Amino acid sequence: MINLENISFDHCIKCTVCTVYCPVARVTHLYPGPKFSGPDTERLRIKNPALIDESLQYCNNCKRCEIVCPSDVHIADIIRLASLNSPKKEFKLRSLVLTSTDLIGKLATRMSTVVNGLMGLSVTRFLLGLFLGLASERALPKYASGTFRKWYLKQQHLQMAFQNRVVFFHGCYVNYNDPELGKSVLQVLNRLDTGVLITPEKCCGIPLISNNRITKAKSQARHNIDVLRKAVGETGMKIVLTSSSCCLALDHEYQNLLELDTTGIQGQVELLTKYLFERFAQLPDPGLKPIKLKAAYHAPCHLEHMGGVVYTVELLKKIPGLDLQVLHSECCGISGTYGFKAENYQISKDIGQNLFDQINTLQPDLVITDCETCKWQIEFNTTYKVVHPITLLAKAMKN
Amino acid sequence: MKFDSIIVGGGIAGLICGIRCAAAGLKCTIISSGMSALHFASGSIDLLGRSPNGDIIYDPFSQLPTFIDQYPQHPYAKCGETVIAESLSFFTREIEEQSLQLCHNEQNNHFHLTTFGTLTPTYLSQQSVYSPELDRAFTESRKMALLDFEGFRDFHIPLVKANLPQHTLFKNREIITGTVPLTPLIESLKNPHEFRSIDISRMFETEKHLLQIAKSIDQLAGDGEIVGLPACVGFIKHNEVYSRLQKLTGRLIYEIPTLPPSILGMRLDHHLKSRFSELGGVFIAGDKVIGGKIQSGRLSEIYTQNHESTPLQADAFVLASGSFFSGGLISEFSGMKEPVFDLALSYEKDRKDWAADQFFQAESHPYLEFGVKTNEQLNPFDSSGQPIDNLYCAGALLAGYNPIREGSGGGVAISTGYYAAENIIKANAPIGAERHD
Repeated sequence: MINLENISFDHCIKCTVCTVYCPVARVTHLYPGPKFSGPDTERLRIKNPALIDESLQYCNNCKRCEIVCPSDVHIADIIRLASLNSPKKEFKLRSLVLTSTDLIGKLATRMSTVVNGLMGLSVTRFLLGLFLGLASERALPKYASGTFRKWYLKQQHLQMAFQNRVVFFHGCYVNYNDPELGKSVLQVLNRLDTGVLITPEKCCGIPLISNNRITKAKSQARHNIDVLRKAVGETGMKIVLTSSSCCLALDHEYQNLLELDTTGIQGQVELLTKYLFERFAQLPDPGLKPIKLKAAYHAPCHLEHMGGVVYTVELLKKIPGLDLQVLHSECCGISGTYGFKAENYQISKDIGQNLFDQINTLQPDLVITDCETCKWQIEFNTTYKVVHPITLLAKAMKN
Repeated sequence: MKFDSIIVGGGIAGLICGIRCAAAGLKCTIISSGMSALHFASGSIDLLGRSPNGDIIYDPFSQLPTFIDQYPQHPYAKCGETVIAESLSFFTREIEEQSLQLCHNEQNNHFHLTTFGTLTPTYLSQQSVYSPELDRAFTESRKMALLDFEGFRDFHIPLVKANLPQHTLFKNREIITGTVPLTPLIESLKNPHEFRSIDISRMFETEKHLLQIAKSIDQLAGDGEIVGLPACVGFIKHNEVYSRLQKLTGRLIYEIPTLPPSILGMRLDHHLKSRFSELGGVFIAGDKVIGGKIQSGRLSEIYTQNHESTPLQADAFVLASGSFFSGGLISEFSGMKEPVFDLALSYEKDRKDWAADQFFQAESHPYLEFGVKTNEQLNPFDSSGQPIDNLYCAGALLAGYNPIREGSGGGVAISTGYYAAENIIKANAPIGAERHD
């Protein structure tokens, strides 16, 4: 049966504009491009879902094809759904490792020194490459000692004192890798007279979606929708995020890709920079301290897709003294777990090369981006330090 | 979020309007949903190619005054000759600022070849399509090579070659044909039939491939001084690749537009966008404006698909959302509409009058002249007939001209986009001066 509600592929006029701007098709012929993998072959898959092309796995889900499509075809969704619904599923230990962010994070933060030390060894990386198919060249993310949640629970009572409150969906990165960013979020929001609540959240599910683990992705998404819905209740509170990809999951993928009922949270989800931009407009000038640095801003693909770049940029422009250079928008190539896979390592590096070149030419003091995996990619491939916009803002707001 | 001017539509009209606004120091944003029609265009700018009775126009600037008198509702009549001329020089300057060379035949039209091997009059082209050197070579030399690429499906030499002798320029010309092999350059198992113009232009941008291609061109072109190629000679690095290829082959390279994606048009798109950002403009891609608040003849804010609850505000707005193809105009069974603000349109109510009897008919289709009605300043009217003072319309959604029959699409987009910007700058001047104090 053809689902008549999902025939956006039929609006494709075969103009090939998506393939022109596809970062993967630009660097490798192994990927035939979004037009072929999406609307072209969707016709065949509708007849028989088994007619699935293995080149689909090269799509990095950056969603740039959807931004450029003149005919409003949901190309990236078509490709992702085709992979997710593929009847040819094979179990891969690697997928389990890459997607169990909560489990691994919980263990790693308890013994971060040991884990970070081990992961830094080339022999570990060699073994991970050999047994799991991870790119052994790539440095693995460092874990923090202790989680953000643990720190937060000690401050929870203070947050209730604020009349204006938001729910902060911190995501795995803040919790396990960078609790300092979470602390900055509280500092900034509290300064703007806003209390921060959290929920017993699970990983947003983006890695699960990218690795075709749809059942697990759905169950985690349902859990998140439930706890967030309960927290928001009738208050109309906003759900704010620091990670652009988690934001995309909550705001877009849950409803459009996983086809879940998002009533109660739909329309409440916002990237923190957008929320702050609006909050600044409501309140008297908090008096930001100057930061005299030359910073290059990289817009993550998923933020481009959600149209949030302008808010981050305008927010950063409020910091006095900051020489902000917005880089020409290009995919960095990591795309979450994509660039960690051995077979994608070179592709991922080649995609990002234009961006790395731009940064190297500019020679900034630091690079700013809203996405944690973009940060890992840029730090691994250039010599520059990458920070989150909120980290910088918190610095400008310090008493 | 508040801007001085917000432009809806990232095509050629919106971009030139944005560049003009940003150059004047206005805080300006362009909201664009999907890539523009430049990806389907020849990349040459037509000003006025044919007279109302279908004759080729050689000297558009001397014809304009009569043309304007004859069609007082035409967008050209609203802009006036001075603005039209000014806008074209502005466009040329801004593109050249990005080091893409544009050429015109003084005040006259020149011709560019089409994918089908027909000749079309146009006013402004990239130097690989028209330049004084190419012009001289076509007059002096009789021999030309016409080459395509192995497996390339968007350009067909036999078709082009069959059409060429119809034109005096090619009538007695000896044409050598050949195909540049690509298989030896492909490292993967990809079939060259899968290559589109963009893949081939990336091969041109790769030095080791360029050397091979140049060698093949040299062998195939025999003693042809001019080498005609489907327009794939580099995309972003075109300038560098073009001069390098001419040096390597010792011949003049002549680009012919291909089927979409059209690299010639994409080069303009790329350079216009870079220029806009360079001047401080904010380009918001992949978002759609869904409506706005209009009160007593003024538009105060607009809403987009991505941020329904967060309005964008500005002193002035421009609607440059294109024609039917780009979604700026919508045709339904019972009528036509402008989907964002439901502006008043000029069109024939009876559906039978929308199209000509035959698909290819010299007088073209009436629907091409349908569109948004505006006053002399390019302000449209709301559905009740009241003009909206701070909203301007530019480009293909305007009524009163037929880009196909007249050969005027690029010229109208550039001149109306520029004129809208000039009107905004004029209206904003006193307020702007206060704000910058």
